[in-house]
Amino acid sequence: MTLIEKYPQEVKQILARYPQDQKRSAVMPLLYLAQRENGFVHRRDMKDIGAMLDITETDVASLVGFYSLYHDEPAGRLRIQVCTDLSCALRGADDFLAALCESLGVEPGGTTPDGLVTVEPVMCLAACDKAPLFQVQTGAGLEYHERMTIEKTLEWIESRKEAAS
Amino acid sequence: MTDRVTLTIDGKQVTVPAGMLVVDAAKKVAVHIPIFCYHPKLGSAAMCRQCLVEVGRPIIDHATGHPELEDGFPRIQFSAKLETACTTLVSEGMVVLTQSERARKGQKEVLEFLLTSHPLDCPICDKGGECPLQNLTMAHGPGKSRFLFDEKHHAEKQVPLGELIFLDRERCIQCGRCVRFQENVAGEPVIGFYQRGRSMDIVSFSEPGFDSVFSGNTTDICPVGALTTADFRFGARPWELMAAASICSQCAVGCNTTLNTRREARSDGQIVVKRVMPRQNEQVNELWICDKGRFAGYHYTERDDRLLKPQVRRDDKFRSVSWDAAFLQAAEKLQDAEKPVFLVSGRLSNEDLFNLLQLADGLGAETLLYTNMGGGDLTGMVGLTSGSNLADLGLGDVILVVASDLQEEAPLWWLRIKQAAERGAMLIVVNPRETKLEKHADYVVRYAYGDEIKTIQDMNKATHKIHKVFAKAANAVIFYGSEGLGLEGSSGLAGACTSLLVDTGHYARPNNGLVGVWQRANDQGAWELGFRPVKDLQVIFDKSEVVYIVGADPVGDGAVRLKKRKPFMIVQELLSTDTVGHADLVLPARAFTEREGTYTSGERRVQRFYQAVPPRGESRPDYEIVAEIAARLDTALEREPGLVMDQLAEHIPAFGGISYLKVSEVVEQWPVINRSELFYGGAVYENTQGLGMQLRPAPVTSFPVSKGKGGLRPKEGLLLAVPVNKLYDQGLTVLSAPLLRERIGELKVCMNPDEADRLGFENGARLRIGLNGNNAKALLVVDPTVPSGILLVPRSMGLPIFEAGMPVLSKVRKKVTG
Ligand code: SF4
Ligand code: SF4
Ligand code: FES
Ligand code: FES
Repeated sequence: MTLIEKYPQEVKQILARYPQDQKRSAVMPLLYLAQRENGFVHRRDMKDIGAMLDITETDVASLVGFYSLYHDEPAGRLRIQVCTDLSCALRGADDFLAALCESLGVEPGGTTPDGLVTVEPVMCLAACDKAPLFQVQTGAGLEYHERMTIEKTLEWIESRKEAAS
Repeated sequence: MTDRVTLTIDGKQVTVPAGMLVVDAAKKVAVHIPIFCYHPKLGSAAMCRQCLVEVGRPIIDHATGHPELEDGFPRIQFSAKLETACTTLVSEGMVVLTQSERARKGQKEVLEFLLTSHPLDCPICDKGGECPLQNLTMAHGPGKSRFLFDEKHHAEKQVPLGELIFLDRERCIQCGRCVRFQENVAGEPVIGFYQRGRSMDIVSFSEPGFDSVFSGNTTDICPVGALTTADFRFGARPWELMAAASICSQCAVGCNTTLNTRREARSDGQIVVKRVMPRQNEQVNELWICDKGRFAGYHYTERDDRLLKPQVRRDDKFRSVSWDAAFLQAAEKLQDAEKPVFLVSGRLSNEDLFNLLQLADGLGAETLLYTNMGGGDLTGMVGLTSGSNLADLGLGDVILVVASDLQEEAPLWWLRIKQAAERGAMLIVVNPRETKLEKHADYVVRYAYGDEIKTIQDMNKATHKIHKVFAKAANAVIFYGSEGLGLEGSSGLAGACTSLLVDTGHYARPNNGLVGVWQRANDQGAWELGFRPVKDLQVIFDKSEVVYIVGADPVGDGAVRLKKRKPFMIVQELLSTDTVGHADLVLPARAFTEREGTYTSGERRVQRFYQAVPPRGESRPDYEIVAEIAARLDTALEREPGLVMDQLAEHIPAFGGISYLKVSEVVEQWPVINRSELFYGGAVYENTQGLGMQLRPAPVTSFPVSKGKGGLRPKEGLLLAVPVNKLYDQGLTVLSAPLLRERIGELKVCMNPDEADRLGFENGARLRIGLNGNNAKALLVVDPTVPSGILLVPRSMGLPIFEAGMPVLSKVRKKVTG
């Protein structure tokens, strides 16, 4: 199914936001839409979006490549991105990442066997004073979870699990 | 503000137009500032920081508004930091130091940084020997690296971006030239950056990969060995190569090229062509060539079925004979025939054609041009004339393209017209179906097949918007093609276009006139010399005694069917075509790579090509073969191409003043491209062998009135098969390039969805198509841009289609296996 077949209303609304000769600007929200369902942008959707906006698939893909919040590969439904950059490291982010991975039984970058959680180290998320922290994309958008502990994190994961079931 | 400024670069004073970049101004005084990401045709990106220089500007006294003086000289303030010469604009009194200690240190450190991520695999790199990074490292870089070898950046080394271009990810220095070329010059952004920082990659998501007919050019401007062509990869080292100036023989644009050759063991010790490179001609192809010219440019001259010896048919078998015997037989046959016919094509050079003309004159022979596109008599009268350059067209000018899919038929014209449109020229595209040029057009006019002439005639009514546009325009050029039109139709179309140009005063002066989108490199030349096509070749073949066919394959193209009684056929050719198969006397000709000559491009520019490789077998140049035959008929013809041209110039008024000396002249071109500073323009060759010369305007007072009807129309409920010209087809000149086979693919025909529904065919169906007694299998592509009633059939793809016709279609039933 193409994006427009799946989400006709949303696509129309997004396209309506931009003037006809600037429709390529709709590429960012359309990519978010495409990512919403599976947590990554499928090649097929890049093609669709390109065709809708009269730009090449390569143009669409290079945006997916450029922005670290777009993903081009499947991962867990919750992609927990822990900042391990310098300031955060000074506030124990490395230990936090290691402990989190251990309690979930995954390597950094890995996904839990139930396919729910992926844990990834990332660069500065611009909240350096609130480490340890992670960001995660949910249906509602981008969430920051700051001043985290392992307990709080596991609790949050648990709550998401319940919400999903 | 004045429009010229004077500045000093490394102590040399130079006056340049305001708005120029320091890096270009330096070029003017032969100061070569090291660059990677800047390119004179691509503009600034400031991505590499290699061009750091010290820049000083005069201190202006605020009270007087004049520079402050010190010992009578302006006081110069140097900026605290180095500046990038590729983004800094020149200003009055500026002082640029490119060699100061500070500047050199900056340049050296940038290089050192670049090299930390570079594999330094020069010994196995195709670019080694013509590599900007290698050269600039030698000139400006550090002798040693301080970075740790173990921490070197590693990445994939053989990534096909498509089947034509390979990427070595380790070598890429992320200058963005390739991406910017595709976006800004080619207008086809089918490669892009992926990821950021050290992980940044060049990717292509198009289908097929790197889907652009200009893709090869990125390998010339890539300043490292990151992009290479599948054609040349691991083929030779640049320093082993010799260079011969040539002209692309694949279409009527006449791109200037350089053929790189070497003697190699792989080819049994022969000298062979290793690659085709663009050669700068700012009036024709600038620094670019298309992929057909690059990848198919010469391969057909190396086919195994090249004719190597003269042959005669005896008892229905070919036997080799000596040239002497062959000449003699040709001469006798031609002399004995009542009215021999010469059938020639635009694949021949001006010199070949002129000698043929002379020989025909002496014999009273009929001279025919083999083509199914007419109107060359008119392009001879109102075509472009000396002093024309598509690069001059811009705001206030108009360009009209009709009945041609220009990107497929003449890629470099497509590019130059697109650029003219970007400069502000009004572009009008008039076609029966959607083509790629439309994206850049101001007006798109769609007509039904069959309405070509009428459409242009309507535009020429005084009240018509387009007539008014033409009347107001400073300059106007019309490019007409022959899509859907036969010989008569395209002649009629040329007539209608001529009326529009003449009525609005756009002819017989530079940058105005009519250009034919011919199928062959020298069709224009053949018309200028007086060769004319006939409507019905079949009649000629049916009634003539002797036909002398040079550089044409009417049998293979389906233009004639040989009957029991056929004429004595003398065929002068390169390859074993179908026509050769039916010949009575075969004369092996040399390829354009093996001899000298000139072509007249569609823009009426006479350009010279040179010999690059030794001839194959006993083949001889066409002009010489003709002179030899003539000698046996007591007619003396020149055998030196330069002398033939002198004769030609004397006899044919349009060629007046043209000589080998003239067409070999060069003037300085901008940008200044030089293989010794190839970091500036890329690996393209500078032009030292001639920019060519355009023909004179013909003195005309009256024009033939346009008559004739347009092409065929689809009839109610019936399909019309229309031949279309594709860039990559199975014609011998393209098919011989192994690399392009995938792009050529199989025979695909296109029709409208409604039509497909009506006939009960679905997209991807396999059809059998019968047309004029021939038939072939094809894949159906259902395409909404095809008008209804039309079946598009690409030429030279297995189904002979010389002109439009009514096809018979049926579905190929799948074989039931089991
Ligand atoms: S592939 Fe070559 S041209 Fe393209 S960005 Fe890399 S170094 Fe530059
Ligand atoms: S545009 Fe025409 S002349 Fe130029 S390289 Fe391509 S085929 Fe050759
Ligand atoms: S270093 Fe972690 S948020 Fe900035
Ligand atoms: S920054 Fe000037 S050439 Fe790259």
